[in-house]
Amino acid sequence: MIHPSRIHPVEIPANRRQFLTRSGAGFGAVALTDMLTRRSVVAAEAASSASSLAGAAAGPAGVRGPHFTPTAKRVIFLFMEGGPSHIDLFDPKPLLNELAGQTLPESFGTVVTAMGESRSPLLACQRTWKQHGQAGTWVSDWLPHTAEMVDDIAVIRSCWQDGINHSPGVCQMNTGSILGGRPSLGSWVSYGLGTENEDLPAFVVMQDNRNSVVNGPRNWSAGFMPAAYQGIRLQETGDPIPNLFPPEGFTQARQIAKVDFLNRLNRNYAAEHPEQSELEARIASYELAFRMQAEAPGTVDLSNETAATLAMYGMDQKETATMGRLCLLARRLSESGVRFVQVYHGAGSKWDAHSGIEKNHTELCKQSDQPVAALLRDLKQRGLLDETLVIWGGEFGRTPMSEQGNGRDHNPTGFTMWMAGGGVRGGQTIGATDELGLRAIENRLHVHDLHASILHLMGIDNMELTYLHKGRPERPTLNEGAFFKPLGLG
Amino acid sequence: MRYESYEMPPAGKLKDEQIEILERWVALGAKWPGASADSEPLPLATPSPKGFSDEDKGWWAFQPVARPAVPAVSAAPPSWQSSSVDAFIWNSMADAGLTPAPEADRVSLMRRVYFDLTGLPPTPEEVQVFLQDPAPDAYARLVDRLLDSPHYGERWARHWLDLVRYADSDGYRIDHYRPEAWRYRDYVIASFNEDKPYDRFVQEQLAGDELFPGDPQALVATGFLRHWIYEYNNRDAPQQWRTIIEDVTDTTGDVFFGFGMQCAKCHDHKFDPIPQRDYYRLQAFFQPIMPIDATVESPGQRAEYEAKLADWKAVTAEKQAQLEAILAKYRPKAIETAVEKFPLDIQEIFYRAADQQSPGEKQLVYLLQRQVEFEYERLDAKFSPEDKETVLALRREIAAHDALKPAPLPVAQTVRDVGPLAPDTIMPKRGKTPIQPGFLSILEPADATIDPLPELPSTGRRATLAKWLTRPDHPLTSRLIANRVWQYHFGRGLAPNSSDFGKVGGQPTHPELLDFLATYVMDEAWSLKSLHRLICNSATYRQSSSHPQFADYQLLDPSNRFHWRSGARRLDAEQIRDAVLAVSGKLDLTAGGEGGAADLPRRTIFTRMMRNNRDPLLDVFDLPAFFSSESSRNTTTTPVQSLMLLNSPQLVQYSEALAARVGDPTTDPAAAIDRLWMLAYARFPEPSERAAALEFLANQVEVIRQLEDQPGSGDLVIGKMGYRDGQAISILPDEKPARLAVADRPELNLSDFTIESFIEPRSIYPTGAVRTLLAKWDGKSGSRGWSFGITGKGSRRKPQTLVLQMWGQKLDGSVGEAAVFSDHTLEMNKPYYVSAVVSLAKPKTAGDSVSVPGTVEFYVKDLSNDDEPLLVASVPHEIVGGLDNPHPLLIGGKADDSGHFDGLIDAVRISRGTLSREELLLVNEQVVPSTVGYWRFESDPGTRRDSSPNGLDLIDSQQASIAARPLVGALVDLCHAVLNSNEFLYSP
Repeated sequence: MIHPSRIHPVEIPANRRQFLTRSGAGFGAVALTDMLTRRSVVAAEAASSASSLAGAAAGPAGVRGPHFTPTAKRVIFLFMEGGPSHIDLFDPKPLLNELAGQTLPESFGTVVTAMGESRSPLLACQRTWKQHGQAGTWVSDWLPHTAEMVDDIAVIRSCWQDGINHSPGVCQMNTGSILGGRPSLGSWVSYGLGTENEDLPAFVVMQDNRNSVVNGPRNWSAGFMPAAYQGIRLQETGDPIPNLFPPEGFTQARQIAKVDFLNRLNRNYAAEHPEQSELEARIASYELAFRMQAEAPGTVDLSNETAATLAMYGMDQKETATMGRLCLLARRLSESGVRFVQVYHGAGSKWDAHSGIEKNHTELCKQSDQPVAALLRDLKQRGLLDETLVIWGGEFGRTPMSEQGNGRDHNPTGFTMWMAGGGVRGGQTIGATDELGLRAIENRLHVHDLHASILHLMGIDNMELTYLHKGRPERPTLNEGAFFKPLGLG
Repeated sequence: MRYESYEMPPAGKLKDEQIEILERWVALGAKWPGASADSEPLPLATPSPKGFSDEDKGWWAFQPVARPAVPAVSAAPPSWQSSSVDAFIWNSMADAGLTPAPEADRVSLMRRVYFDLTGLPPTPEEVQVFLQDPAPDAYARLVDRLLDSPHYGERWARHWLDLVRYADSDGYRIDHYRPEAWRYRDYVIASFNEDKPYDRFVQEQLAGDELFPGDPQALVATGFLRHWIYEYNNRDAPQQWRTIIEDVTDTTGDVFFGFGMQCAKCHDHKFDPIPQRDYYRLQAFFQPIMPIDATVESPGQRAEYEAKLADWKAVTAEKQAQLEAILAKYRPKAIETAVEKFPLDIQEIFYRAADQQSPGEKQLVYLLQRQVEFEYERLDAKFSPEDKETVLALRREIAAHDALKPAPLPVAQTVRDVGPLAPDTIMPKRGKTPIQPGFLSILEPADATIDPLPELPSTGRRATLAKWLTRPDHPLTSRLIANRVWQYHFGRGLAPNSSDFGKVGGQPTHPELLDFLATYVMDEAWSLKSLHRLICNSATYRQSSSHPQFADYQLLDPSNRFHWRSGARRLDAEQIRDAVLAVSGKLDLTAGGEGGAADLPRRTIFTRMMRNNRDPLLDVFDLPAFFSSESSRNTTTTPVQSLMLLNSPQLVQYSEALAARVGDPTTDPAAAIDRLWMLAYARFPEPSERAAALEFLANQVEVIRQLEDQPGSGDLVIGKMGYRDGQAISILPDEKPARLAVADRPELNLSDFTIESFIEPRSIYPTGAVRTLLAKWDGKSGSRGWSFGITGKGSRRKPQTLVLQMWGQKLDGSVGEAAVFSDHTLEMNKPYYVSAVVSLAKPKTAGDSVSVPGTVEFYVKDLSNDDEPLLVASVPHEIVGGLDNPHPLLIGGKADDSGHFDGLIDAVRISRGTLSREELLLVNEQVVPSTVGYWRFESDPGTRRDSSPNGLDLIDSQQASIAARPLVGALVDLCHAVLNSNEFLYSP
């Protein structure tokens, strides 16, 4: 559990401050004292009541993680939605520029591409490449800030997945399956490890623009698991968490008086129904809701951050301000004990450079590079990087073949992701694609292995974390995948 | 230990000593350390699948259904002696040293059976009828009444729709609406209401086309095989088809076999005697399916349709031919665009003559053809300017004869076989020998004998499967349905996993009762209503949740496996929404037909279930995802639910409606409280409760009085638009809509200007009338002003498109109207960004030699699909100005109360001058210097507040803040507390 002193002072508008004062004096104070002693009990109750009712659907309580000592307590997953080009960012291919203009050599066999241009000429990479850091990690000039952090980063050049399009690709990167309906990785983590801070959701999702992430909210849904494990998207409009604050025209004082009466009703009903333990959990859930009201605004309020911090994240520049804000929020949420933070950059497949990759990637790299590097730097200087696992990547990479003359199509068969912190050994480049960056050939890392590795670093064995659904044991990685050993510190 | 046993892929048999430990542990009652009470004992690993062991063959679910004798229970109390169900339950309870709870009080019983059988709470009138009925069979007659109610089918269809993962959308990147899917939903509702024999119900869904050709409803039923998700842009057709067939196989395994067949997709099932081969034997039954959208009409309907169609065609033939000639020019390119994205070998199949395509190739061609049709739907955007004008003119001329045109015949999304020959079913990595259709080999080792269907171009495979499953001696089918029905009544099946009768699923708690119920349902000609009647009238079902020895018994049997009491159960998502609507008096009980959005107050089963765009309330209360079969609902308790119930504007509005319904608190607050309790809880308050509620009202009045005057959203109906955060305003056309007016101000009379909004239209007028989005005009001809809206079906230019009408001075000096159309088609129930950028015409001046026509630039963006481009149309007009007028600016209607918008409006912004593409609200949702007014309809700073510095707030027509009527506000709060209360949210 996080130490209370780590939680920043709450700076909230007048009517909300009013609430705190009033609640401190009245109902809330009693409730808080009561609740603080019962935090973990409520979580367990909520989960077990799920199983007692929906017997067939729920897993047995108590079989969860951690299964061994974790190196990461929390995850920040930076999702570059649309598929950044690995061969223009982290995986230089001299042969590509030699063969540019020709079709893919026959030795590479046939390729099914999303847009059917597998026979279009190979597209040269226009980047300048340099080795960086003590490790000499290759990074292109599109990511100068990330390049400064490579000694904390493990670059994995050999990722692959099963979906040829965005929808299955994003779905698999989140849930392990190209088909919908399974719980997201963040849900598995919430299920396996519970929450560090009950006043905040355990799994929070943010995005850099208002376009819908491909597949929409089901990317962070709990699938067949109880809704309690689903991700909560931090909203830009209105309350940060849906319905966090009283509806228009209602003050908090009015709501508190209402809930006070509601509790009387509910206590009477619970007394008549001792057989139903959920009823207690439901009473508690209103108290938790009030605490979330108190905690969440402070966590997302950046006014206490120094100008230097804001500048480091690029919040003083137009291009980087948005992603800078999300990365800073990710640090704050993580710091407050949110287990799994997912940040979508380029929400709505903005990295999807089917044409004009130069303009597209120049802009998107500019928007994200400095904030992402700042996040690593900030976590590091606060001593949090060791326990916070940061993951960067998209749902796939891009083809060496051109599309529409100056773009690249989807490439799920070989692409780059990177991981940093949380027990990952930085300053290394793992795995390889073939000479044109088309397919992963060495130390191949499937999404299932990626998920197994993330879980492993969090102390969870992907084969031991099970959830009974329809009477069958389900696992986060569909019974496949294994920890990718080169990542580890050992 | 248990982890090892779940490990996959199968690692083989456990060591003997481990098994021995497990067996001992199971014998001891097998409690998980620290596990919830319902955890099942660990199943034993299956020995080698090469031959079925005696243990496998002896597994309960494979044994013939027995006809167990009803135990004699002379020791039981009289009320436990009349039902066979009770005899079995009593018997096992007595063995365990338990006695049953007394019968529940009448109110609890009534709420329980109402929610259970109809999904709705009883009305106060129904409560009175039942409570005042002294006859001994009053309850039995109540059960009969509820089973006869149409709401019974609406409730029980929900369970079935979960099983078959029914939804109204494709569920992939484009979550395309399935306009005909609802016929299947209505078929299921009707089947339950008609008490269709369950064996027939099974047959119709698996093979309606083969077994009941010519029966339209059976064809709708076979839509069971169409609920898979569909990806509109998958270029790997063989993989896509495999996924579809696997989905159908998996679902059938869950629903009709009660075994996790998908476990055997890649290897022999680890726990159950299901070799991998069995998965492909089952799949082979579905290998020949071909999706079709078929008309499902009666012969009479068809004749009438044909006759009308002939008349209409005769009148329009010439125009149709001209139209077709233009469209034909554009189709080859559309085909090429779609097909060229596939690998060459697949393209080759597509272009081959149909008689040269194998059955399996025809299935791939179907998938390509759907992508071709996707391009066809976008032909309108490809026309040359001349062709576009001609097409619009021709369509208008054809539409002039719409009166003659027959209504289209009903269409069902269903399947048939691709032909009499099935494509091969190949087991991966096991050679090329095709797998023949077959049943579970532990029951029927030989391949299935397929009865050919000489009259049909069909293989007969699915008919064979359906007939096998519905044989009266089938060990699974009757047990599966009896167990499912029991589970939905009691919250847990007699066999604990109703879609898994295998070893992981576990042993039934009452195997004899299960067999008794299975034979009973068959004896009753597969009538599910008979089964409900038997169960609901049993003393077991009628028990109270309280038991005199509760504390002792709870230690002995914490999860109530022996059914010694009842228990409160949280309502599921649909029951909660329906109950809120019902008690607040808002529920629209219109049954059947196409579903609407969740902000319409119909029963939840009649709302659209879009897989990627879920209603937040239903979502948070554990609505399934509808991607795979679900046999039971989760029940969670989270603070997010509490925030939703406590703070969402929708719940406040329902509380207000409920408050208005319970009576005037100023004249007789106690009567209002009594009515509230009766509506919400089906009972009057206890005196202490009434006193507490009165005390709350008195105190809350003081709380409200102390508040500063807080303007609320007033009479606005708050909704939420898909793919957008925050609040939207919902405008319903049938009622007098809320007036969203901004008083006239000089800033609102503009020369060049830009108007923008996020909208989700729900309907257009059947006439040519325009649904108004935004207007500054009094609606009188001759008056100056402008109006922005969506054209009706009978539009003089194009239906369902944006139109900006302006009345002002024209280039030629006259005063008149300009109606400017965008020509983009807006689909209903889809979220859009729309805007009109208005540049006025410039008359000839001394300096200029020519006048310059004005333009309206329209922008339209489909927000539900990022792949859809921002559509632009630049249309000239001749208005030079003179639009100024003293009328208010109105959102969603015109000054004369005509031409209301129908749908959701999320935000509106008016700007001075013409905005560039980069400045549009679509990409920049902010107040900028050019902003004149920006209404975001968010609670912060206020639904009626203008976000711009001009302060152009919406006028509150009611002007009645709660502070002025604190007692009404207090009653709203009381109602809101009751809607949040567990007694309301739980079925006793």
